[in-house]
Amino acid sequence: MTSDQDTFIADAVEKALAGDMDAINSIEDRSIRGKAKAALVKAKRAAKAEQKSESSEESQGGGTPEEKVVQSSLSALLSSVYPDEIIEILNEGKVVQLKPQKWNEIATFFRDHADALLDQLECLTGVDLGTEEPLQVRYNLHSMKHRHKIEILINADRVKPEIPTVETIWRMADWFEREVYDMYGIVFTDHRDLRRLLCPEDWEGWPLRKDYEEQESYHGIVVPKVKEGWE
Amino acid sequence: MGVGSVKEVGPVQAEQMVLNIGPQHPSTHGVLRLKVKTDGEIVSEVIPYIGYLHRCFEKHAESITYEQVIPFTDRCDYIASMNNNFGYVVAMEELMDIKVPERVEYIRIIMAELNRIASHLLALGVYGLDVGAFTPFLHMFRDRERILDIFELTCGARLLYNYMWVGGVSHDLPRNFESICIDFLDYFEPNIPEFNELLTKNKIFIERTADVGVMPAEVAISYGVSGPNLRGSGVKWDVRRDEPYSIYNKFDFEIPVGTGEYGTLGDCWDRFWVRMLEMQESCKIIRQALKTIPEGGDVHAMVPKKIRPPKGSIYRRTESPRGDLGYYIISDGSEIPFRMKMRSPALTALSVLDEISAGWMISDVIAILGSLDIVLGEIDR
Repeated sequence: MTSDQDTFIADAVEKALAGDMDAINSIEDRSIRGKAKAALVKAKRAAKAEQKSESSEESQGGGTPEEKVVQSSLSALLSSVYPDEIIEILNEGKVVQLKPQKWNEIATFFRDHADALLDQLECLTGVDLGTEEPLQVRYNLHSMKHRHKIEILINADRVKPEIPTVETIWRMADWFEREVYDMYGIVFTDHRDLRRLLCPEDWEGWPLRKDYEEQESYHGIVVPKVKEGWE
Repeated sequence: MGVGSVKEVGPVQAEQMVLNIGPQHPSTHGVLRLKVKTDGEIVSEVIPYIGYLHRCFEKHAESITYEQVIPFTDRCDYIASMNNNFGYVVAMEELMDIKVPERVEYIRIIMAELNRIASHLLALGVYGLDVGAFTPFLHMFRDRERILDIFELTCGARLLYNYMWVGGVSHDLPRNFESICIDFLDYFEPNIPEFNELLTKNKIFIERTADVGVMPAEVAISYGVSGPNLRGSGVKWDVRRDEPYSIYNKFDFEIPVGTGEYGTLGDCWDRFWVRMLEMQESCKIIRQALKTIPEGGDVHAMVPKKIRPPKGSIYRRTESPRGDLGYYIISDGSEIPFRMKMRSPALTALSVLDEISAGWMISDVIAILGSLDIVLGEIDR
């Protein structure tokens, strides 16, 4: 029976890999269906790992050929002009970690250089990497003309977090930097109007840090703690 | 002081006055406070104060499982909950590398487009109210009600659906859904010209909105303004077409952009008009989807028992009725998100308000704010 089952599952998985998901979905028995799905995931993962090792041999992976050229050229462009500012190039050139010192200059370069023209800041995210780790800000940049993207990571020290502002380069950063300041306490130097955005101005602490503790009371109102029994 | 001596004075200026609008004010579309600095009746600066509706979505998300985040996304933009669900599940599925059944993709797109119509109906109707037209509001709410009925029929909820799950949807379509939906479209599409006669081509409405609050394309892009507001400035950019997700590349639809028909390109009227045209395009997409939707199959087939994405991060944006709705999700390999960021399109739309309303009158600020179609639930999160 078990060997029968195994071949049956193998069959179904093969069909599913070829694109016919119904082969698995139509299995009546729940436990067999579950097994088949697990086998499918495994098979897919194995196939993916294989693909990855193949593509890494071709040096640059990801997407259509045009996309490949653009992706690699953005990080290549950066490493040719500012080689000393790069800490690490990750994820096949889609993500670049930079030193904070010259960020403002690099941002202007990115926005104005004819091969980059990254005129849209898609998203600006603050991250706390853990209580022993530094804070980080991530910038997702996009070019409306060239339709290419790059993600920039910049670390900030936990005790005295400072990163140059890009508020005048992409105006969207104005409020998004204020939000990151509000939530993580990262000071964007030379920002013209760095106030808290969502929390009240006299709120204490930086709520999205991993080691955040609520203040006891706010203007005489007791700040509720996480109640016992809450998940 | 001798006779005839003239005291030097600077340019004539009225005393500057600071006017507070809100936090409780019908034209602010929620709890928003605007500090307006005026010179006479001319506005010189608008400072928005937000955060009245801050519910710590991002902090909460770090202590609940990935499934439990979905109801929170509903409550961020309560006017277009389906689209918020959609953005989240698309990002999650990309992170976990899940391929959902084709029927689920169709169902999601039908729901998202229906919700886009409902959201635009509210935006346009309330905009009419903002500039003093009461009747179109009632017409549009009447039609929006019918869409909410369809949602109620599908998943039991009228406003906050929790309908789209990672890997599937909560319920399959009810029986006769196709005919109900077609009935609605047949009823709704002829109403759009009626709206145009009532409001869009109304002389008073045009006077109030054309040439007002002009947002040039570069300003819009620099501020990260997206969606209908960006297209109103003449930029042909739509995430559904330019960075296709789900199965949007299978459908044939236009991307309407502003043309400055009655005034300058990028004025309030253009933003309004783009939304009106988009409703028609959404109807087109729904009709195509209803025609080709595959039958049968389990909508829960690919729903994982436990959501445990691999270590890594993803930023994915989708086209919500208000613009580029992005989710930045960082996973540390556990069942609980390490970081969940929602890039709110309404937040960027509000941040441009000061830039485009300086120099206009106080009543125009209300018209400009309405034309940006903000939802405070999403801005404050």
